[in-house]
Amino acid sequence: MAEQVAESLERLAGQSTVIAWLKAYDAHWDVRQSDGETRAKLEILARFCLVCEREPDDLVAWLFRQTEEGPRIRLKRRRLVMALIDDFEREHGGRSAGNVVRSFLIHNGVALSATPLR
Amino acid sequence: MEFKQVVGRRRSIRYYQPYRPVEREKVQVVLEAARLSSRAVNADFVQAIVVNRDDLAEENRESLKTPTTTAQLDLAPVWIFWLIDPTAPKVGQTSLKKLVDVGALTPSHGWSHAYVDNVVWPQVLQPILADPGTAAVVAAVEAGLAINQALLAAVDEGLGTQLTALNAASAKQILGIPDHLVPIWIQLLGYPAEDPDAGGQRPRSPFEHIYFEGRYGRPFERDQTVVERLRADGMLTGDAPHPWRKEEVRALSRMFGLPE
Repeated sequence: MAEQVAESLERLAGQSTVIAWLKAYDAHWDVRQSDGETRAKLEILARFCLVCEREPDDLVAWLFRQTEEGPRIRLKRRRLVMALIDDFEREHGGRSAGNVVRSFLIHNGVALSATPLR
Repeated sequence: MEFKQVVGRRRSIRYYQPYRPVEREKVQVVLEAARLSSRAVNADFVQAIVVNRDDLAEENRESLKTPTTTAQLDLAPVWIFWLIDPTAPKVGQTSLKKLVDVGALTPSHGWSHAYVDNVVWPQVLQPILADPGTAAVVAAVEAGLAINQALLAAVDEGLGTQLTALNAASAKQILGIPDHLVPIWIQLLGYPAEDPDAGGQRPRSPFEHIYFEGRYGRPFERDQTVVERLRADGMLTGDAPHPWRKEEVRALSRMFGLPE
């Protein structure tokens, strides 16, 4: 998996949803992520993409349907992805890894959260 | 707490101390405040079910969530399900006559049992009940009055509170809510994990843009001396965002393992 992830990083970084995510994250939190931070996030996202067998742009597009009033979220698919993220974080790096994927989706307009740790 | 401070300090709190229970007497105070709200025809337009978060099975909690109602439900220990009753005016013929009897509705304003029986009931209340759209609007307004008092009472009791959306169909099934009642909001109660100021007072439209005098569009001029007095009294507080708000939210997110 590590090789596949490394190969896909450059491709992922060029996808419009990934660009939008990183830009929106920095703008919202008033930060400028270092190359190292960005790379670490992209590695996690790449791992998740392998698990769900979708590229980031494809994943976001798959979660919406186009209507005359504009894009609408597909709730069943959203639930499916939320469950996938829960599984992913159990097997690939814990909550912080899951939250990288959630952050990617949130900043692309897919409202979701995680069960708080308490 | 002074009334103006209660109004000024109310925020929608979205981060709660999940481990700290809410005293039952404080929940009762919140309900008592709602019960005393202004209400048309003295009818019960709103009812409520108090639920302790941890008494709900996890699958039920999950099914009540909506896309934007997620983590706060897991964090707040007490949930009040507010239910509106569009059929509430059906008691109007009786309840209005009781108001006449107790001296609330008076002959000097034209009220009598005969007026209720011959005019108000057949010409006002029955048509409202016969039109589901109008009945729903009336009920929603009346419920809002009660729920707002519940929100302010929670603040007065030192609690954090928020109205949050819910999956109404799930609520009906899980809580056994009768068909004629509509679950409209969940009011969350708990002790805030965030600063109770929650980043400051929310942006509002300029006063003169929404309040008029004499005719629509002629602004009601805002007297700055009144503004200053309200600042001194604690009703107008600092505008959001406080400079540290984003850092606060990030710290809370990390504390609870929530996404950024």
